[in-house]
Amino acid sequence: MSERQKFNVIGKSVKRSDMLEKVTGAARYAGDLTLPGMLHGKLKRCEIAHANIKRIDTSKALALAGVKAVLTHKDVPHVLHYGSPHPRSASVTKDQYILDTKVRYWGEAVAAVAATTEDIADEAIRLIEVEYEALPAAITLDDAMAAGAPVIHDNGLEGNRVVPDMLFKRGDVEKGFAEADIIIEGNYAVGRPQPAYMEPNVCVAQWDGSDKLTLWTSTQSAFMVRGTLAEVLGLPLGKVRVLCDHMGGGFGAKQDLFQHEFLCALLSRQTRRPVRMEYSRKECFLGGRSRHPGTIWLKQGFKRDGTITARAAKVVFDSGAYGSHAPGVTAVGASALTSLFRCENVHLEGKCVYTNTPIAGAFRGYGVVQTYYALDIQIDEAAEKLGMDPAELKLKTAVREGDIAPSGHAIVGHGLEDCIREGMKAVGWKERPVGCGSAAYRTVSPADGAVRADALPHPTSKKVRGWGIGCEMHGSSAYPGIKEQGNALVNLNEDGSATLLTGAAGLGTGAHTALCQIVAEELGLEFEAVSVVHGDTDIVPWDIGAFASHTTYMVGTAAKMAAAEIKQKLLARAADQLEVSAGDLEVEGGFIGVRGVPGRGISVRDCVAPKLGIPAAHLFGSGTYMPTKSYSFGAHFVEVEVDTGTGQIDVLQVVPVHEIGKVIHPIAAAGQIEGGIQQGIGHTLTENHEIDPKTGRSLNANFVDYKMPLSMDMPDIKTIILETAPDPGGPWGAKGVGEDPIIAIGPAIANAIYDATGVRFRHYPITPEQVLEGLARRRHV
Amino acid sequence: MKRNITTTINGEARELAVETFHSLLDALRNAAGLTGTKKGCDVGDCGACTVILDGAPVCACLVLAAETDGCNVTTIEGLQSAPGSLHPLQESFMMLGGAQCGFCTPGILMMAKALLDENPNPTDDEIRFGIAGNICRCTGYTKIIDAIRDAAVQLRQEAKGGGKS
Ligand code: FES
Ligand code: FES
Repeated sequence: MSERQKFNVIGKSVKRSDMLEKVTGAARYAGDLTLPGMLHGKLKRCEIAHANIKRIDTSKALALAGVKAVLTHKDVPHVLHYGSPHPRSASVTKDQYILDTKVRYWGEAVAAVAATTEDIADEAIRLIEVEYEALPAAITLDDAMAAGAPVIHDNGLEGNRVVPDMLFKRGDVEKGFAEADIIIEGNYAVGRPQPAYMEPNVCVAQWDGSDKLTLWTSTQSAFMVRGTLAEVLGLPLGKVRVLCDHMGGGFGAKQDLFQHEFLCALLSRQTRRPVRMEYSRKECFLGGRSRHPGTIWLKQGFKRDGTITARAAKVVFDSGAYGSHAPGVTAVGASALTSLFRCENVHLEGKCVYTNTPIAGAFRGYGVVQTYYALDIQIDEAAEKLGMDPAELKLKTAVREGDIAPSGHAIVGHGLEDCIREGMKAVGWKERPVGCGSAAYRTVSPADGAVRADALPHPTSKKVRGWGIGCEMHGSSAYPGIKEQGNALVNLNEDGSATLLTGAAGLGTGAHTALCQIVAEELGLEFEAVSVVHGDTDIVPWDIGAFASHTTYMVGTAAKMAAAEIKQKLLARAADQLEVSAGDLEVEGGFIGVRGVPGRGISVRDCVAPKLGIPAAHLFGSGTYMPTKSYSFGAHFVEVEVDTGTGQIDVLQVVPVHEIGKVIHPIAAAGQIEGGIQQGIGHTLTENHEIDPKTGRSLNANFVDYKMPLSMDMPDIKTIILETAPDPGGPWGAKGVGEDPIIAIGPAIANAIYDATGVRFRHYPITPEQVLEGLARRRHV
Repeated sequence: MKRNITTTINGEARELAVETFHSLLDALRNAAGLTGTKKGCDVGDCGACTVILDGAPVCACLVLAAETDGCNVTTIEGLQSAPGSLHPLQESFMMLGGAQCGFCTPGILMMAKALLDENPNPTDDEIRFGIAGNICRCTGYTKIIDAIRDAAVQLRQEAKGGGKS
């Protein structure tokens, strides 16, 4: 920011508003609720990837003592719905029923039970008999796109396409390739990581005497849940109330509406009792949402000086059995390739395809994780061919001020260049160990001991080290895909405190705290004087949901507008009381002072408090912020150590540099970055939900076989946050940070592995076995 | 078949009727009404359910409730010595960003307490090892380790008689 502004509340790591509850165990999550007479629901899931249901016999289950209701496809509304209940602009695949006559993936629910105890409900599930007519299944992308492939949804499109293919183009790629000195082309493949939020999906449904449904559920998008439940169950919005206080993570996936949320509501309606339903960890894998696996073919042309002359790509994403977010993820992922590293001539195709596998949905990084993995690695490949330093080439080609972003907006500032420069300085990039990743090392096999000397704790050690850099940018808010809006209401209470009402979900990011800071800053109150009300669709203003790095940016601006409205009313009132002009007043730390007259003024509290014969003043303000877009940037610098004997990859240190505009809460922002890096290391090295390519059965739906980086695996992270490119659209220039950190870490690791071993990987996850194979291949050339 | 047990939970003798096959985790959350202890997997893989049983940290989902008859259990609700006086671990987690969504937090706090009870001056590696069985998906552990290290310092000062003023 050019002019140095003084802040009292924002930019400080105040004690988060949700922390006391969380460290004492008092925080209420949806699954902590018990209601009188509450029943327990369970889902019966199929064990076949593609089949018609010929017969379901529920008689034995119904006969079991304690069973109160059983629902199958015959008993539920047969209404198609969007799995991801976004506004129509983003969700285009109305392809799900609550329960269908057909199953399309191993683990899809076919029936639901409510019983007096969980144990009885489990037993009842076992007693339900289902007879299937097996259909040929398409488990892999190749299966699904092959001529004559089984049709998963009869939507009139060839090759199991979810939607018609997309094309993003600019300039003339043919001309660009013709002008290139070198051309690099490659196929990149990405796996199927799970968000693996710690709180399993859970909800409790209850209908009151006026036939109104209340659903407590762990969701990022309470208003979307309300809208879709109302639509599918045929209820007016006023008859559905959705509540979510705290939630134990979502990372994007909990934007969708899941089968249990509908079925819990229906079981409760039928039994006239509250019903609770919670997924087991296994069900979170089967019935949850993964990142989209897929392939990216990428070809780029370069001039000798590094200028990128053309970029062509074909992005193919596996949507799983239903559309969910596939159209949005494909569009965002493919169109992201128009940017990051400058190129005038682009031709980018996007395709998403149904398979008979669990559903892929929204997950932090939304398609960009995949496509930037390919793009960044290929720039690294080009740097080597051009004889340039990879960081220098990335710096040279980085997007800059005025370039057109994927959203169509002009980029503000030089965030990516700043991140690359700052990181190079912080890690001493140019002075990094000689031999590390040098061409000399790569031409000699590790068996010859030609590893860099200072990396070796012992002369016979077979461990080699390398450095890599990865880059990213990501938009705050989902605009223009979704015409979002941020809303906020603020009340000033008669004791001079303020209450913020927001529809933004309590995802755990600290966003509510940031919103309270923004209100306090604008209103001139202490942080502690602002409290937040959230998570009740009957009370708080509409919000699209906590995703797309939207909350601080969009809702933050709305909260600032609401606070500004109150401030105006407050100063007008104080001006009357002090008999000065409102323009001469300023408010800070809860005190309204007359500018230039120290000590003269009135406290906010006294200004609005009741006095003899005068009732309290109730001041309120509202803010609605309409669509805009900004981009945050990042560059990750990573050092890895690879054991050439076992193939084991150890991430030793990460220096993430992020440019996110004005930082509202530094600790919360750094926490987002560090958590994103953890998930990114996971999908790059170990995390992959394995689906048997023959049967479609999940092979690792638990936390032992699905291996995430834990405390022993996490490297040192030295987070650097820059505020060099504030966006005029965010509060005091603030931008989003939620999605960014998971994007750059993957290619940074892959590039570091190459630097260490000379083995280039164009996929994730990269396993020790593959490292050993790669090293063996290198020895033989 | 239900069995009546008497378990001392957070210093209070509680008489609970539990199914013989139910876990301590379910007994705590349902019979005892203490929902601070979380269920992330129910099979011993995540550590969200960590409580202290007769001085040792355990996964409450792996212990049969009936086996805790006569035992002493401390849960997250019992980590503060008195209402309003937080354990230093709780203070540090609050101030240093040790929790985000908070779902892993009760388990990690109890595991950290057990760690510091045994080793008041752990190295960072010992802290990492101590919480190796607790999955946190939000934080990357950086700030959890910061918070445990910081609480250890506070606790050592308190033990020396320095107190917290
Ligand atoms: S719930 Fe006990 S270890 Fe996961
Ligand atoms: S804070 Fe969310 S899992 Fe640890």
